[in-house]
Amino acid sequence: MAEFLELEAQDGVRMSWNVVPGTKQEATNCVVPVSAIYTPIKQFPNIPVLPYAPLRCRNCRSVLNPFSIVDFAAKIWICPFCFQRNHFPPQYASISDENLPAELFPQYTTIEYQSPGEAASVPPVFMFVLDTCIIEEEMAFLKSALSQAIGLLPDNSLVGLITFGTLVHVHELGFGQIPKTYVFKGSKEVSKDQLLEQMSFFIKKPKPPTGVIAGARDGLSSESIARFLLPASECEFALNSVLEELQKDPWPVPADQRAARCTGTALSVAAALLGACVPGSGARIMAFVGGPSTEGPSAIVSKNLSEPIRSHKDLDKDSATHYHKAVKFYEGLAKQLVHQGHVLDLFACALDQVGVAELKVAVERTGGLVVLAESFGHSVFKDSLRRVFQSTDYDLGLSSNGIFEINCSKDIKVQGILGPCASLEKKGPLCSDTTIGQGNTSAWKMCGLDKATSLCLVFEIVKKDIPDAGVQSTSNQFYFQFLTYYQHSSGEMRLRVTTLSRRWVAGPGSIQDLIAGFDQEAAAAVMARLVSFKMEIEAEFDPIRWLDKTLIHVCSKFGDYQKDNPSSFSLSPRFSIFPQFVFHLRRSQFVQVFNNSPDETAYFRMILNRESVANSVVMIQPSLISYSFHSGPEPALLDVAAIAADRILLLDAYFTVVIFHGSTIAQWRKAGYHNQSEHQAFAQLLQAPRDDADAIIKERFPVPRLVICDQHGSQARFLLAKLNPSATYNSDSHHPGGDIIFTDDVSFEVFLDHLQRLAVQ
Amino acid sequence: LDSMVLPRPLDGDVEPKSFVETFPLNCNPRYLRLTTTAIPNSQSLVSRWHLPLGAVVCPLAEAPEGEEVPVVNFASSGIVRCKRCRTYVNPYVTFTDAGRKWRCNLCSLLNDVPGDYYAHLDAAGQRIDLDERPELTKGSVEFVAPTEYMVRPPMPPLYFFLIDVSVSAVRSGMIEVVAQTIKSCLDQLPGFPRTQIGFITYDSTIHFYNMKSSLTQPQMMVVSDLDDIFVPLPDDLLVNLSESRTVVETFLDSLPSMFQDNLNIESAFGPSLKAAFMVMNQLGGKLLIFQNTLPSLGVGRLRLRGDDFRLYGTDKEHALRLPEDPFYKQMAADLTKYQIGVNIYAFSDKYTDIASLGTLAKYTGGQVYYYPSFQSAVHGEKLRHELARDLTRETAWEAVMRIRCGKGVRFTSYHGNFMLRSTDLLALPAVDCDKAYAVQLTLEETLLTTQTVYFQVALLYTASCGERRIRVHTLAAPVVSDLGEMYRQADTGAIVSLFSRLAIEKTLAHKLEDARNSVQQRIVKALREYRNLYAVQHRLGARMIYPDSLKFLPLYGLSLCKSIPLRGGYADAQLDERCAAGFTMMALPVKKLLKLLYPSLIRVDEYLLKPSSQVDFENIMKRLTLIGESLDSRGLYIYDDGFRFILWFGRMLSPDISRNLLGTDFAAELSKVILSEHDNEMSRRLMGILKKLRESDPSYYLLPCLVRQGEQPREGLLLLAN
Ligand SMILES: [Zn+2]
Ligand SMILES: [Zn+2]
Repeated sequence: MAEFLELEAQDGVRMSWNVVPGTKQEATNCVVPVSAIYTPIKQFPNIPVLPYAPLRCRNCRSVLNPFSIVDFAAKIWICPFCFQRNHFPPQYASISDENLPAELFPQYTTIEYQSPGEAASVPPVFMFVLDTCIIEEEMAFLKSALSQAIGLLPDNSLVGLITFGTLVHVHELGFGQIPKTYVFKGSKEVSKDQLLEQMSFFIKKPKPPTGVIAGARDGLSSESIARFLLPASECEFALNSVLEELQKDPWPVPADQRAARCTGTALSVAAALLGACVPGSGARIMAFVGGPSTEGPSAIVSKNLSEPIRSHKDLDKDSATHYHKAVKFYEGLAKQLVHQGHVLDLFACALDQVGVAELKVAVERTGGLVVLAESFGHSVFKDSLRRVFQSTDYDLGLSSNGIFEINCSKDIKVQGILGPCASLEKKGPLCSDTTIGQGNTSAWKMCGLDKATSLCLVFEIVKKDIPDAGVQSTSNQFYFQFLTYYQHSSGEMRLRVTTLSRRWVAGPGSIQDLIAGFDQEAAAAVMARLVSFKMEIEAEFDPIRWLDKTLIHVCSKFGDYQKDNPSSFSLSPRFSIFPQFVFHLRRSQFVQVFNNSPDETAYFRMILNRESVANSVVMIQPSLISYSFHSGPEPALLDVAAIAADRILLLDAYFTVVIFHGSTIAQWRKAGYHNQSEHQAFAQLLQAPRDDADAIIKERFPVPRLVICDQHGSQARFLLAKLNPSATYNSDSHHPGGDIIFTDDVSFEVFLDHLQRLAVQ
Repeated sequence: LDSMVLPRPLDGDVEPKSFVETFPLNCNPRYLRLTTTAIPNSQSLVSRWHLPLGAVVCPLAEAPEGEEVPVVNFASSGIVRCKRCRTYVNPYVTFTDAGRKWRCNLCSLLNDVPGDYYAHLDAAGQRIDLDERPELTKGSVEFVAPTEYMVRPPMPPLYFFLIDVSVSAVRSGMIEVVAQTIKSCLDQLPGFPRTQIGFITYDSTIHFYNMKSSLTQPQMMVVSDLDDIFVPLPDDLLVNLSESRTVVETFLDSLPSMFQDNLNIESAFGPSLKAAFMVMNQLGGKLLIFQNTLPSLGVGRLRLRGDDFRLYGTDKEHALRLPEDPFYKQMAADLTKYQIGVNIYAFSDKYTDIASLGTLAKYTGGQVYYYPSFQSAVHGEKLRHELARDLTRETAWEAVMRIRCGKGVRFTSYHGNFMLRSTDLLALPAVDCDKAYAVQLTLEETLLTTQTVYFQVALLYTASCGERRIRVHTLAAPVVSDLGEMYRQADTGAIVSLFSRLAIEKTLAHKLEDARNSVQQRIVKALREYRNLYAVQHRLGARMIYPDSLKFLPLYGLSLCKSIPLRGGYADAQLDERCAAGFTMMALPVKKLLKLLYPSLIRVDEYLLKPSSQVDFENIMKRLTLIGESLDSRGLYIYDDGFRFILWFGRMLSPDISRNLLGTDFAAELSKVILSEHDNEMSRRLMGILKKLRESDPSYYLLPCLVRQGEQPREGLLLLAN
């Protein structure tokens, strides 16, 4: 494990197989695909930033790296990907093995280039899109959260505002006299050209007869752009006064109807406006949505209240009438935004569903943030929003305009990426015929990315035969190079290059090497993304069956056992907790979708698809820490047996963090002992999990929901739902902790029994 | 023929007196005037009379203090009306059967007197409560209408402003004057505290304003999809003025500066009008439109026309005086249906197609105000006064008017600004004291057998205070069998009013020449007929004779033919000016019209020079004959047609006077000079005269226009000799 973490700390990458099965057949037999979870702009304290342009292979365009073979005398380097011999240019004349440029240092497998001349000129752009079909109370919450956020905006950032309900209002913040908006019908789509025409963009500067209108350089006067996008420092007052007098959508809503809410039209107006004014620059549409869209092409449900919002059941039966139309609409919007290089962030705060499931495609393809909460007054929303703008050690490191490219050794192909990005449709020999996620390309757009954004790359090994033993010693390495161009939050354009080398093995006797290279955490994270993806796109897909089959195959291949003797079964420590991960994955929100709404499922999956391996593991298998007087905090088994009257449990289920007081602790707490000076130790015991929870919350985005509860209290369900049901109401034995779980799920022991039986067959 | 001895109407309009004396119970002539107060008893008399048989109605004419129309509230008993012909009880009904029955003077039906209305009769057969019953003693009376007269709760007075803010409007300074004037009138708008107000501005887009009372400032909402207009707010585009007062004031204060840098040259007039209609149609009200350019975008878009010389003098010429796009007439019909009255204020220095725009005012009972080449420095004062008058004069809302008459006569045509809702019901969404209507009569039977014919005008409206009322004017006229009597009882003012309207209407279907000819023809025929009646008897040979009542008719007829709507040919008046004058004249009350046709001319230089002790104001107000000989080149004259003053400076006028009146500008070309008060007695006196003249008729504000003798062609255009 530790070595994988070290690799991650150096390159931001975790691979399921760190020793790669060397042939197509071998890879297929390994069941878990050869894959990597890569965090392109992970923050490293000492990453070198080179102030010059990278040197590239003239054949395959890959960048000079520590794995290149260098002939110092001849001033030639050999590309490890295509074996092309390249001459060093004159500025490298002085290199020798004593005098290496940084990009050839063996430890600098990950390095950044910042080309000179590309100054930090482009300010970030924020287009706030606000739902006004919400009750006054929610409106007040939203206003206060936003005005806080506005105070935190960088002074040079450009800000725009759109509000919507039945209609779309584009605020002309630069008007200066009185609040002014341009109004569009919610039920009608407006093209970019119509929008420009109707918002009087061509009064001072006539519309160019031909060509694409793109910002101040192409077709628009900067004055006309400045009507709608203003530097934060200039428009704070205007923005705040608009917010102050912003009214709830004034159109009457009959008692048996939902409010007319045209989310999609508002977003498409926002996209068109940004597309015209600031194409290609790092702009984010931040949508604050408080209910389901019912108007226009993005409607997810009709206005009639008697029609319920689609459930997983409806989606499963394909009876959600609006779903496909809305998804198609957002696919179009996603395409437009990707083309423009703009991000869609979604803050969905409502008791009802708002259409996250439909919006997912646009948020995910553009690398947007997503936060789901019950209310604009909830800390999950408020604190998350603050985190977006706060610049502290825990800032998100929001970056924009990313392009991610990949080079691999010729026996490897890329099936695709599961994660927040969009294909740039750059086809080539690198692309596998079978695609997963955003595939059939070797370049992807990442309109928005931050220091946590993690992509899951799935590879295919195409080498057919076992190569001749003679050459194995020199060329049994596979090389991968990940190139990420992006606009740093400082405004600079950067290129990060990560070059990896992994040994491949093949043939009999290679199994031990494979086992040694297996990263079960990374594998679990990949499996979680894969199973979610398959559930979304494959009709009739049975995730439980698929996971079980996968696990059984893995255990059959890598387990140690005598055939047909279950009790002889054992697994190497490299694989030992993998079954447990799969067990919890089967029970997770990613697979057991029927316990949640489609919006929640979409939300969970979007977060899973962008997080690191460590965070994904917490989502799959929550961590549990136990606090007691007897010992310091210690990890506890995620099992109902961990509950005890004199313990406090801290459950981190990623989206929720639960502090659970055993019944005795709860009684003492209720009695207020911790406030009495003679019970300082108790006060400390109570405080310890709070401090740990705060530490978790501080560095997580979206901010998790914190639940503080007592044993037997109603909130305790947040903990119980995540525990292994080793004691249920239909099991015989009662644990000393005295809690049972009302469930029909199988316990881990039963699951493991079955697994062993099947694996040895 | 010596033009000097021709009779001149130097005393203006004189209402026929004898008639008032014979029928003291009749309504005052300011409300209703017949073209002749002797109604012919046969068709043959009518055909020999040649002049129009009809009347001019000004239902809300301003009454001098003490002569206001009394308000009668029948309360529980309901309004007493004839069961058959729906005539309102009036001084000419008779009570019989000991006061239990009353006979209708129009249709002779014997009606029961309602219990609550019963009164004993005295020995003379008069009701004993006669003194307490204005409806039985006065020709004009106003009934408070009970709920049966309402199809909905009475509407509040409502003013909606549709203001052009395109670049030409901004540059003319119109917006500023309008905003300031509206603001200054807010306290005087009728109907406090129910008055409602709203605004839309427009250029190539339509701007709505949220005026919700809880806001600190208005919010502007721009709708620019001209093909699919919608209202961006369900409420608060029209607000209660007293509740939203501060928001309205903030809006009016910022309006001029909001658009000062606007470079938009387009005018989405039609779509904006539709938008205003959508906002107003719940309630109705007055829509004041301030238009500075030719509508260029969206529905109702108009094109430049009228500069095609080839059309003039042909059979197609009249089309230029008609609305080009059916949108305007259709819109006017919709507006009237929803009780919206339109006043057009037009300002452009270029062609704006008043013919089309004015249609909106014509069919909604409104008015056209035309300020060609408006510049706030020059015309600001005029606009300020006229807009203020429009906003503050008492207005009757959601009105309908019907004129009933006794058996044997019938109204056949109506002329003026209104929409005819059925054959005899005039829809008037908003009507005021400055509007008059003309009607024509025919005889239904060959021979009238009654002695007297009765007429009754009933205007049902909502008063600004929120009361539904019916204003009723009743008039009786004798039936005669003598053509001579008809001529002797003729009312030139009413005849000329009716003639003007008929002639202007004729220009909409014929050449100007034809319209003029028909006026002349009828006058000639009438005079010949009259002469024939008496030629033998008086042995007058070839001399012209006419009854005293018609002595000014030929002169007015000539003036009418020279008035802007009928004058000359293509070059003699701009098309827009011609149309605007036509719309204006169609609505003018008799006095105002006659003043326009035969303006007053007074000489003021001597008065200005006199020491103040010897001022004989009455004397200088004496009108002079409008002939060239009246003008002395040493004099200074004021020519006043009720719409503007022309100050004529004689060539030999003492330079002292010029200098005192004009200051340093005295030698300049007078067309560029704006008259203002200077710090000397003479200047103050002249301004005093102008003020006094203006006060005599507040319906329009008269701007002084200066001209020096011999400045051609201006002198000719301004002082077209009458
Ligand atoms: Zn290469
Ligand atoms: Zn009757």
